[in-house]
Amino acid sequence: MSAHAATAHDSPEVHAEHHDDGKFHVFVQIAMILAVITGIEIVLIYLPLAKWLIVSSLVLLSVVKFLMVIFWFMHLKFDKIFCTILFFIGLILSGGTVAALMLLFGAKDSVPLTAQTIYAEQAAENE
Amino acid sequence: MSAHAGTIDHHHDHTTVTGIPNKKLFMWAFLASDCMFFGALISSHVIYRLHPVPNATDPLKVFSLELTSFSTFILLMSSLLMALAVGASQKGKIEATRKMLLGTIFFGLIFLGCQVYEFTHFVHLGMTLKSDVFGSTFYTLTGTHGIHVAIGVLWLVFMYIRTFKPADASKAWVARAFTQFLAFAVATVTIMFLMLEVTHAGAEHGYSLASITGALTHTPLAAVSTTAFALSIALLFVLGRFKQPVDFGEANAIDVESMGLYWHFVDIVWIVIFTVVYLLEYL
Repeated sequence: MSAHAATAHDSPEVHAEHHDDGKFHVFVQIAMILAVITGIEIVLIYLPLAKWLIVSSLVLLSVVKFLMVIFWFMHLKFDKIFCTILFFIGLILSGGTVAALMLLFGAKDSVPLTAQTIYAEQAAENE
Repeated sequence: MSAHAGTIDHHHDHTTVTGIPNKKLFMWAFLASDCMFFGALISSHVIYRLHPVPNATDPLKVFSLELTSFSTFILLMSSLLMALAVGASQKGKIEATRKMLLGTIFFGLIFLGCQVYEFTHFVHLGMTLKSDVFGSTFYTLTGTHGIHVAIGVLWLVFMYIRTFKPADASKAWVARAFTQFLAFAVATVTIMFLMLEVTHAGAEHGYSLASITGALTHTPLAAVSTTAFALSIALLFVLGRFKQPVDFGEANAIDVESMGLYWHFVDIVWIVIFTVVYLLEYL
């Protein structure tokens, strides 16, 4: 390879162009992976597997899709760590609120009294 | 602005002491707070699903997994186009930025169209905002998400129109921008109306060329809408042929990027809603 060709290949413009092309392909590949994961999720609900296994798989696949979008499409992977910390503060607070509410309202005592009466009536009718 | 070796250079932007541009930092803080907003709505829906009232709507009798899956796919692909629009704007490629923005707007409108159809269908089946608790929490959650998508589409339209601002400040462009916005608004409203007409006609008479063309012309309102849609699209095409130098380039990439963050956020919220509200009902 000539010196001129080597210089042209290593120039910042060419490097940036290659980097941008690489990013384009990564974005397209991620979009295809997201589409495939969505397809897997839809198929999964019809498979004769244990309910806990399907629910766990759906949650896991959703988390994978979520992380792929925020780290690649939303550029968190390329940005300063502060952006990730800031967003995850909101995400953790949100997740914590969801978990707390689920536990709170999942308790037996949280079932409204009117609903308890209705459920008891329904159980009696079924017997 | 260009990206080298995996980092983003923000030399055009006003940055905070963190080194992150103001607009981007604001958007991340806003999205973090919006997470909590959606967290509250999602948990409300799930809690009431865990304590169903008697004679409530059976989700499986009203949901259409095919339609929702299609909407999900469309929103994911719109995210791809948005990411490409951000990339193009960072490289100063205005034509590519416009095309990607238009693609994102188009996909966003398809998603909204699907939601309009879904809501209309559910109301037709008797599930309304106040029919039962399931209806209340479902419409509140998915409707709030839909409003976010609609705001995103509006923002995308404004950004698309902004790319046409002439470099020569003495040239008037407000009237032209307003015309462009009006054309977008007319095209959006008429296509939503026509889509509902076509789907209702298709449901009644089957989907064929005759039923579709019949739906587009069978009433004066449908005929006017079809004409208005065609004219507004033609107007947008003509206005989109603007070839003069514009005041839009790499310096505006941060605006496109901030908008992109919002759009992707709408996408990740839907990823959660699709699993929690729709898929889990089928188990």
